[in-house]
Amino acid sequence: MKFHWFAEVTYDDLPDNFPAPGEGAWMDSEITLADSRKVGEQYRMFLRLMQQADKVGFDGLAVNEHHQTPFAMTPSPNLLAASLASSTENAAILVIGDSLALYNPPTRVAEELAYLDCLSEGRVIAGFVFGTPMDSTFAYGRVPVELRDRFHEARELVTRAWRETEPFAFNGKYNQLRYVNVWPRPIQERPPIWVPGSNSIETWELVTREDYCYGHLSFSGLQAAKPLVDGYWDYVERNGGDMNPHRMAFTQLICVADSDAEAEAKYYEAVKYFQRVRNPAMRYATPPGYNTEKSMTTQMQHGTSGVDPADKLRAARGEMSFWEYDEKGFIIAGTPDRVAQRVRELATELRIGQLITSLHMGNLNEESAAENTHLFGTKVIPQLRDLWADEEDRWTPATSQQRVAANAPVPATRGKSGA
Amino acid sequence: MSITHYKSGPFSLRTLRLGRPAGPDGGDTDPVPLLYVHGYERHPGEAPFLSRLAGDREVLAPELPGYGESQGVDHLTDVHDVALLLRDIVEGHGYEHVDVVGHSLGGMLAAEFAVVAPDLVRSLVLVGSYGLWLDEHPMADPFVLTPEQLADAKWHDPTRAAEETAIEVAETALEKAIERTRNIGTATKFMWPIPDRGLSRRLRYLQARTLVVHGEDDGLVPTEHARELARLIPNAELELVAEAGHVPMFECEDEFVALVQKFLR
Repeated sequence: MKFHWFAEVTYDDLPDNFPAPGEGAWMDSEITLADSRKVGEQYRMFLRLMQQADKVGFDGLAVNEHHQTPFAMTPSPNLLAASLASSTENAAILVIGDSLALYNPPTRVAEELAYLDCLSEGRVIAGFVFGTPMDSTFAYGRVPVELRDRFHEARELVTRAWRETEPFAFNGKYNQLRYVNVWPRPIQERPPIWVPGSNSIETWELVTREDYCYGHLSFSGLQAAKPLVDGYWDYVERNGGDMNPHRMAFTQLICVADSDAEAEAKYYEAVKYFQRVRNPAMRYATPPGYNTEKSMTTQMQHGTSGVDPADKLRAARGEMSFWEYDEKGFIIAGTPDRVAQRVRELATELRIGQLITSLHMGNLNEESAAENTHLFGTKVIPQLRDLWADEEDRWTPATSQQRVAANAPVPATRGKSGA
Repeated sequence: MSITHYKSGPFSLRTLRLGRPAGPDGGDTDPVPLLYVHGYERHPGEAPFLSRLAGDREVLAPELPGYGESQGVDHLTDVHDVALLLRDIVEGHGYEHVDVVGHSLGGMLAAEFAVVAPDLVRSLVLVGSYGLWLDEHPMADPFVLTPEQLADAKWHDPTRAAEETAIEVAETALEKAIERTRNIGTATKFMWPIPDRGLSRRLRYLQARTLVVHGEDDGLVPTEHARELARLIPNAELELVAEAGHVPMFECEDEFVALVQKFLR
């Protein structure tokens, strides 16, 4: 099983009363709340944490794209990835992902990911995303009903731009290019492609047909995700897709400490902060036409994350105890052994081979995040390497797999004797 | 009244026909038929104002592709495709020319139609019409309003919101929600993120005599937009309707019908 270090790059100094009731953290948050020098300090902190993760045995370093929100100040994942590509050695650079419909022309994605793959010696994973409604339709003004069509056209253009050995013309509906011949090309013949989705059958169809890695990135935990992820795997099986667990990624907030009490003391405030500032105001959540009718039908019946709306509200308001967050799956917390056992259960139940672990969340301080990273890397990951070990992983780069295996720290002995 | 499905190429449009059909050869004594182009939310069905306008002429009110039951929206990319489809509808019904009333998004599309088909459009009425963007007169984003906010914006008196009619709609709550999303999603093609697809550049070519009708209390399209439309269209009159919002045909039906009938006489 593979583990990818991730953090939403959340601004850490928002006032306690943010966001106002009925409001959210996307689109119209007051910019006066942010101190740009502090943002810069945070960027440097996230780079240090990811460089640490690269050394302690993580398989990938995940970066994402969001716009106009203090919840995730990563307008260009490729920029953050560029810093990592030149300052890390082992882990995959998991760009999860570039919002294909927002790049004009999308060959920019083919070029930048190729640049990253060259710079990282072949460690890039190419995540392609639709982008949240807030990102793609509001912040970037894409027409909701055209977004999917634009995404698919861009995906075809990017993959073809990597594949073709001669210059070609591309006469698309949204992109017209007379000469496509991108320089450079990736080191990998074609970087692994991941496409996360929110329970939409069209995305299931795409990833099954193209043999991409699918991602359920809702931070919702095992119970809420179970019916949705089961639905995905049923679909894959019915349609003759590859049932390899490495074709499935999942996000999970993780809070490791030497004791359960210490975990609560260190992470509770940060978890509440994360939950408080992650949601958009309702008006920006569901633009008309963003979801297809087919998806809308299933989503109105099952939701997109599977989380009970009442729980979602209580989680956002910080009305849960630390251990209720844990019980409901919003976090997995506790000692390395407890966390390993719960991750094993999660990964087995959901058939997940790629866990995107959020080891920094909300306004967590660097010291705690570094300790979290250290404990997870040295005391949790080694306990879980046996999981799916007999299944080939074609969805992380060969180079990162070899280097992580060669450079992983010597596994800590289980239990207390290793300390 | 009849509901037919107008079929042409990839399009199938549920179409409401009201009033007395014109004679077989559209003789000079026959009143000019009226084409009604509905607004961004939905087709109004057999609304009282349409029945009254059909008192002395035929009214043809197609439901646009992507709305309700009508098919073919994937074959529309921009407003010009819709303008050409409207021409197809008018010619397909054998009309030599028509008067056109367009409401809201339908006003913007009707104006585009009149620009590309000057021979077909005798007179044009634009009601609460979208199509412009004026930096100094910001307009509400119709796609982020709650139902209550939308009613407040659309109506001078939002307590009357239930008076607005709609063409036969889906039955279950889920079907209704999906239909509404389909309709509004279609509108995003022409109105997202800003309902300006360049109409102001083309209005100088609009030859039809035009009446711009606008509710003084329209909370979706500011009245300044109506003034600007009337200024940009070479042969236009402006009528502001007091105590009306975005749907004067419902909120001030008598006044609206009288204005339109007087102008089209």
